[in-house]
Amino acid sequence: MSSKSSSSPLNSVTKKQIMGITGLLLCGFVLTHMLGNFLLFVSPDAFNKYSYTLTSNPLIYLAELILGLIFLSHIFMAVKLVLENKRARPVEYHSRTKSGRGSTLASSTMPISGAITLLFLVLHIINLKFGTHYDTEVGGIIMRDMYRTTVEYFQDPLHVLFYIVCVATLGVHVSHGFWSAFQSLGLNHPKYMPKIKFASFAFGIIVAVGFSSFPIFCYLQGVK
Amino acid sequence: MSGNSAHNMSLKLKIWRQKNSKDEGKMVDYTLDGVSPDMSFLEMMDTLNTKLVKEQGDSIAFDHDCREGICGMCSMMINGQAHGPEALTTTCQLHMRKFKNGDTIVIEPWRAKAFPVVKDLMVNRGAFDEIMAAGGYVNVNTGNAVDANAILIGQENAELAMDAAACIGCGACVASCKNASAMLFVSAKISQLALLPQGQVEAESRAIAMVEKMDELGFGNCTNEAECEAQCPKGIKLENIARMNRAVTKGLFSGR
Amino acid sequence: MSPLNDKIKKLDGKVPAGPIGERWSTHKFNLKIVNAANKRKYSVIIVGTGLAGGSAAASLAELGYNVTTFCIQDSPRRAHSIAAQGGINAAKNYTNDGDSVYRLFYDTVKGGDYRARESNVHRLAEVANNIIDQCVAQGVPFAREYGGTLSNRSFGGAQVSRTFYARGQTGQQLLLGAYSAMMKEVHNGKIKSYTRREMVELVIVDGKARGVIMRNLSTGAFEKHTADAVLLATGGYGNVYFLSTNAKASNASAAFRAYKKGAYFGNPCFTQIHPTCIPVSGDHQSKLTLMSESLRNDGRVWVPKVKGDKRNPTEIPEAERDYYLERIYPSFGNLVPRDVASRNAKLVCDEGRGVSQTGMAVYLDFADAIKRDGEDKIRAKYGNLFDMYERITDQNPYKTPMMIYPAIHYTMGGLWVDYNLMSNIPGLFVLGEANFSDHGANRLGASALMQGLADGYFVIPYTIGDYFATNKFDKIDLAHPEFEKSLTDSKEKYQKLLAINGKKTVDEFHRALGKIMWDHVGMARNEKGLISAISTIQELKKEFWSNVKVTGTDVDVNTELEKAGRVADFLELGELMALDALERKESCGGHFREESQTPENEAMRNDEEFCHVAAWEYQGLDQKPLRHIEELKFEFVKLTQRSYK
Repeated sequence: MSSKSSSSPLNSVTKKQIMGITGLLLCGFVLTHMLGNFLLFVSPDAFNKYSYTLTSNPLIYLAELILGLIFLSHIFMAVKLVLENKRARPVEYHSRTKSGRGSTLASSTMPISGAITLLFLVLHIINLKFGTHYDTEVGGIIMRDMYRTTVEYFQDPLHVLFYIVCVATLGVHVSHGFWSAFQSLGLNHPKYMPKIKFASFAFGIIVAVGFSSFPIFCYLQGVK
Repeated sequence: MSGNSAHNMSLKLKIWRQKNSKDEGKMVDYTLDGVSPDMSFLEMMDTLNTKLVKEQGDSIAFDHDCREGICGMCSMMINGQAHGPEALTTTCQLHMRKFKNGDTIVIEPWRAKAFPVVKDLMVNRGAFDEIMAAGGYVNVNTGNAVDANAILIGQENAELAMDAAACIGCGACVASCKNASAMLFVSAKISQLALLPQGQVEAESRAIAMVEKMDELGFGNCTNEAECEAQCPKGIKLENIARMNRAVTKGLFSGR
Repeated sequence: MSPLNDKIKKLDGKVPAGPIGERWSTHKFNLKIVNAANKRKYSVIIVGTGLAGGSAAASLAELGYNVTTFCIQDSPRRAHSIAAQGGINAAKNYTNDGDSVYRLFYDTVKGGDYRARESNVHRLAEVANNIIDQCVAQGVPFAREYGGTLSNRSFGGAQVSRTFYARGQTGQQLLLGAYSAMMKEVHNGKIKSYTRREMVELVIVDGKARGVIMRNLSTGAFEKHTADAVLLATGGYGNVYFLSTNAKASNASAAFRAYKKGAYFGNPCFTQIHPTCIPVSGDHQSKLTLMSESLRNDGRVWVPKVKGDKRNPTEIPEAERDYYLERIYPSFGNLVPRDVASRNAKLVCDEGRGVSQTGMAVYLDFADAIKRDGEDKIRAKYGNLFDMYERITDQNPYKTPMMIYPAIHYTMGGLWVDYNLMSNIPGLFVLGEANFSDHGANRLGASALMQGLADGYFVIPYTIGDYFATNKFDKIDLAHPEFEKSLTDSKEKYQKLLAINGKKTVDEFHRALGKIMWDHVGMARNEKGLISAISTIQELKKEFWSNVKVTGTDVDVNTELEKAGRVADFLELGELMALDALERKESCGGHFREESQTPENEAMRNDEEFCHVAAWEYQGLDQKPLRHIEELKFEFVKLTQRSYK
């Protein structure tokens, strides 16, 4: 035990911690993204100005790069863990029942909810970020009319439905992921853990409901 | 002496049979009558084995020893749960009164790459010994000790250490984990020693050494589902895994 | 007497002389030492990895010897020491209630009813304190007081609080301590640990124990192992009775194989019956579960005053209950030693006052303690035991009294060893419950853990060195004829068992043996019963070898075959126990001869004729073994009739 035998640079604890840290950062991104989107409710101009401010700043490329790296490491680590976990049990049980005292729907579906979220993310970027380009003028500046792109996209009820299903899945994903990150980082305290778990659950609901409000709003708003 | 033979049950059993580690193995159906509700699960298995032997068959191999829930030898997956449906109960202390006449019971061995099947329901848990040998101890030789009361330990920490030390090393955590992870077992030992001044000295290097050995042996990763905690017959808490994670992190930063 | 008489030896226990408190230190000084650098040239085989074997393995490996360990379970951590609940004694006098090494020594000699060596017992009491220190250093989480100091409680048979404990799992925690020390040495390369192995033969070369034949229970293969010394730490033989508190794999084969190779078997009739076990529930019963005797600190034992009272216990008024231990033994009350508590339970049940459906149980009632201390305090003390009781019996002991009955628990008898823990075969050391032990005719509560660890941590490391330093060892080839012969014999035995293919299962024979033993060589014994037991066991043994049914083969795991091998030995050992009980025409401790009792039904010793250890020497199959003796001298604790009134 005297010397550290570093067979692999990443042990199972570290791998989980990378998942946890990247996950928490992504939670932060999701939250700010949602808060920004609330400007949809204020006015088309407010939303467009917000979008313009973000995209016109040269630092956006760096920010996007970092965000992309966080996503990639979260995804890469997830795939690695899933493969390793599969290998750890080469023969499955004939019958397996959950005790009802441990695993939850959220905790047992993390790879699936994660995969759905990834798919959503890709489609989301294609449909909106690289969606139809309109221009508009706010306060004398010509900028992209992101508001119109968004509202138009959500005129199709199928798009609305798909979006809601996906953000609900994301809500489920973060409701386990959020507290789980604290556990992986060793921040489990008998006094605070129930609160963290509650916060995690609440965060999941907020994400699901908050993001669902946008497509519904857009759909009801209609194209003017 | 079986007072209430009127309540005796008939059961359908689906049991994993595998001759040895090289055999493929398969599920085999049995029926068993005259099962008294007062029997323990293992006594039900004894009864089945007596029947098999009388019929010239090969008895079903399963691990068991103390039959009072402390040695950690018994290890059956019963109806898809480690040690069966009762919380905080080992297979040997599970009683047939928890089942109903006519029930079908599926019995399988622990399943994990690191726990290969020896025969039928018996698996090799030597991996746990290897993890322990990687660091699950305080480096103190016989004769090195100071007077026992020279080391003061607050009651709260002593109790927490005892909670962790209650682990019987049965492997139910690995069996019940969907990833076949051994984190609960490993963290229980790391926690016990990390909570005591005697174990502090090596707390971080111990945690890293044991975790790395666990990884090397092919156990899965933890996804914080807590099914291990739920199916642990001794109620070992998930907090221990967090404590282990903390020790590993500290160790990485201090370069141990 | 017979011409055999001149073959009977007076054995020398090699006990040092001098003041009792100095004997062990003087002896240690006189023991030869193996030079530190030479220790690596010696090898030791240790069979059994419980408290005695595990602690010995760790300590010897730390010293530099090359150790090979074998255990029958799938990990050394599962040895049956793990099941000890109550605690471990040491005379630390942390509670300031007047304890001392001498008092622990005195209590143990007296508790053992004067059938143990004074010198051994004093050594045990001396090193007990070191054991606690060692275990704490290893990280054993003993119970603590608020101020952080160790907590003590009083335990069956002791008037001082000298028992250290870790909840109701003291054995488990001490074993995990020894096991972790062992694993440390596995890591350091000084211990090679083999699991799922059973010893099937001892190999003696040129008069010295030089190896063992092991059977690999996973593959069925026989393996030869050699070393310079062999340590047996294989536990007791309580499973002769089929129903006992021992683990299912606990067996006597290793010790009995050694006996058949010439090692003397000491006091085989000294068995301990534990008073607080969960009663038998039916014919399916495979083992008995012990409830820690610490329960007797707060529980009150009683039966109805009237025979056949079938009322619900809570409906029986105070005036109609007989708290018989408190009545007969006012000063010790419910805390009388185990043998006394057990025998009295049997007496009241024999009178027809027993409770439960079988009439073979007495109440252990916590109603008063709960009233006095509150349910929470009782839960804190005994919660896990109460839960276990409820799990097994489906009854809530907080609401209705527990039912208990005595069961075979521990065997004081075992292979005879001298003060150095060496048997009469040079190089064969026997530790822990497997030796005939320091507990005399009755073991006090919380003393077994103490003895196992004392032998392993603090005795054998010194005495084995003397054996190595004073003997020469030739290197032994595993092809040596002695190894070949032992191997062939073992293989043949198993082949023979498989070939019989009779009608009765191994368990049926084992249960039949157990019933004979319990009825006639159990809590009370008499000449007629013992003689009939011997002849019925002989018949059963004959039937076994012609009618046992063992299915399967000798390759891979075959649990039926394993059991058959053990039961074959139990049958012979059972007979030896009955013979020893027959020849010891006195009552002492756990050995109660009905012919030898006081008017108040207490055990009456016969110090004139039986103040000795009986050490039996094997004479061949179906031959009566020879009964050698080792005289016991009591220079410090005066021989008196035990009284707990």
